[in-house]
Amino acid sequence: MSEYALKMIDIDKSFDTVPVLKNVSLFVRPGEIHALLGENGAGKTTLMNILGGVIEAGSGKIEIGGKEVSIHSPSASQHHGIAFIHQELNVVNDLYVYENMFLGYELTNKYGRINAKDMIGRSREIFDYMGVKLDPKAMVGDLDASYKQIIEIAKALLRNANIIIMDEPTSSLTSAEIEHVFEIMRNLKEKWASIIFISHKLGEVVEICDRYTVLRNGEKIIEDDIHKPEGTATPEMLARYMVGRDVLSVEVYEEHSIGEVILQVENLSAHPDLKDVSFQLRKGEILAFTGLLGDGRTELARAIFGDLKIHSGSIKVSGKKIVNKSPEKARKRKFGYVPDNRKENGIVKDLTVTENITLSTLGSFKKLLGINRKKENEVAEGFVQSLRIKVPSLDSYITSLSGGNQQKAVLAKWLHSKPEIMIFANPTQGVDVGAKNEIYAQIMQLAKKGVAVMVMSGEAQEVIKICDRVCVMYHGEIKGELDRTECTEEALMILSTGGSLN
Amino acid sequence: MIVNQKVAERERSMTLSLGKVWGQYSIIWVLLGIIIIASIFLGESFLDIQNFVNILRNNAILGILALGMAFIIISGNIDLSIGSMLVAVGAIAIAITNFFGTLFNPELGWLAIVFGILAALICSAVFGALSGLIVTKGRVPSFIVTLGFLSIYRSVSMYFMEGGGFFSNVPAFTKISNSNLFGIIPLPIIYFAIIAAACYYIAKYTRFGRHVYAVGSNEKAARLSGINTDRVKILAFMLMGLMVALAVIIETSRMNSINATSSGQGYELNAIAAVVIGGVAMNGGRGSIIGVVFGVLLLGVISNILNIAGVDVFLVNAIKGTLVVLAVLLQRKEAVR
Repeated sequence: MSEYALKMIDIDKSFDTVPVLKNVSLFVRPGEIHALLGENGAGKTTLMNILGGVIEAGSGKIEIGGKEVSIHSPSASQHHGIAFIHQELNVVNDLYVYENMFLGYELTNKYGRINAKDMIGRSREIFDYMGVKLDPKAMVGDLDASYKQIIEIAKALLRNANIIIMDEPTSSLTSAEIEHVFEIMRNLKEKWASIIFISHKLGEVVEICDRYTVLRNGEKIIEDDIHKPEGTATPEMLARYMVGRDVLSVEVYEEHSIGEVILQVENLSAHPDLKDVSFQLRKGEILAFTGLLGDGRTELARAIFGDLKIHSGSIKVSGKKIVNKSPEKARKRKFGYVPDNRKENGIVKDLTVTENITLSTLGSFKKLLGINRKKENEVAEGFVQSLRIKVPSLDSYITSLSGGNQQKAVLAKWLHSKPEIMIFANPTQGVDVGAKNEIYAQIMQLAKKGVAVMVMSGEAQEVIKICDRVCVMYHGEIKGELDRTECTEEALMILSTGGSLN
Repeated sequence: MIVNQKVAERERSMTLSLGKVWGQYSIIWVLLGIIIIASIFLGESFLDIQNFVNILRNNAILGILALGMAFIIISGNIDLSIGSMLVAVGAIAIAITNFFGTLFNPELGWLAIVFGILAALICSAVFGALSGLIVTKGRVPSFIVTLGFLSIYRSVSMYFMEGGGFFSNVPAFTKISNSNLFGIIPLPIIYFAIIAAACYYIAKYTRFGRHVYAVGSNEKAARLSGINTDRVKILAFMLMGLMVALAVIIETSRMNSINATSSGQGYELNAIAAVVIGGVAMNGGRGSIIGVVFGVLLLGVISNILNIAGVDVFLVNAIKGTLVVLAVLLQRKEAVR
């Protein structure tokens, strides 16, 4: 047996002449959990897609068990014993565990009748091998999320996989569930399986992994052991490797004065992802909330805006306790909310540009009977010019606009309602670079006018660019708070992966 | 200043595009084409003023129901209960009218009728609100809720009417539908025209109308824009109820009676068919009142043609059904483009 279970050597890949992987190598030993680390866009997914047979490498070679192989399709990848467990789990809640295990590969007798007994038996063998206590006849929907992950691993083993790729397996699990999955991973390691572990949670990486490879901008930065004689790797160290030092930024921040406290949130909890959140927001202040997937910042925004029921805790506006029972109530109390996932939550696709812009404030266009359409168009035209929204015409459907311009229209909708507290969730999601800076400029304008602004964002660079202060969230709690002056990409990474500063 | 100029410019470009309006309502072309072809083949038995008046009068009730249904479907819901609700509301209207009719002097018959109409409007609004409340607060799909009410209204009406009918004994009651304006235009046509104009205005120029489109197109985004989406839906169901009341007043006045077994049978499906043929998207958010009015006319003209051409009555619904499917197929094509 060769020293390595998997060798990917000098892999190159470009999309339309843009190189995404430059001579990247990955070496994984049998019986090891190997972390593959990097920021979004560093090339991790591309590298794993090459291994999974989803896309082909430009050049380079892959060796499995010492033998060179060519992987041109997902089935070829599977044939070589590679299993790719994606972030979104492919389990069907309304089927039994064993039915999920054999989904698409059902065992049948020669007449085509399903052979449940054999499938249950085989499932049981696999679970015993893994050291899991799980009844193959349980209904998947009744199990907790960690078992779904475990079923995916079991499925991989059933197909004779010995190299298992796990893409952020813990992002939707609670800490107890995570521990459960880790236990199974350790068991597998004992049996000489190799696991490639992709995660942004560096605390977990240090806990579970044996070695790591860091990619940055399509290049391999380092490959090393987690535990070395001179000391164990720390999340801080890994974060530094991931981010590097070549982070450029265009200056969008402008000095502005910050007034008195307008919003006080105390011990706010909401099911299921928000625990005991407290903070204060001042007039004219831009307060960012950041963290990783599942950090609870979207839930926080929705809870404040009345879109998510509050479990306990209180919200005060200018010292007066309020409860936003619905977004309608929040709007009337001068809250504004530019939601994430614009297509789903932001735009109304069958309405025109004007109609989308005036949707929240139709009441202000009243005439004797009904709406004053002329005034509506005037207001919309005003925003089209001041925000430089590129539109074919005011009565074209909102969907005929580009993503950035749609986002500006959503922003215009709330600007017209003259909010006092404005919440942005991923304000530049799916927005091109030019429009991004224009949206930042609008956020700055709002703050200068004395509007209290909350920006929920997963992009560290965005947070650093515009915020006065940032709260870093982890598993639904505020893990740390940084001033503009203390706010670095490194610090954000450390806090949002569950580490602590100092 | 610049803003005003720009707006004026844009408004001009909007009004000038009459061609666009015609393009938007391809149904108008279809209707014209059918009328021309029918005129060629059927001659004067079809192409006759009195025949067209008849078509309009016979479809006024369906038309009013379809207008209400348009708001329901645009809001992303459906109401299957209207045919049965019509019977229940009609029975109440006649019962109240008769009750006051026997109480008052014969000269005050009109007052008894006013009470009957008011009772119908109030009851139907309450019925609509009930469906709307269960759909929104109970989070039950409108298909299920109104399927239930379809049985409930019919069954309860049959029980109280012992499977038979109610007759009005206030003579003036029949005048509501069986009079002509200027001696030639039957009043039901006038009612339909007024209600259609009102619905057009509501859909296009009121907050409620705009909100109905927004809720049907993207309920989540509408909610997050600070719209009370539950209220919009409840109001849509109440508006549907009011349309049922107006329709049933015309219907009972015309016949001077309502029948628990035969009245309103299949009305919900005809209304839905007219709405769909008129180009309203079944999953909500898109459609226009003008389109619905033409959908009603198209259905009416086709029934009339089949009738004059002597097509077997048993086959009429097959042809109508084909029309509905074709209409939706065409919508799909347009959506793909």
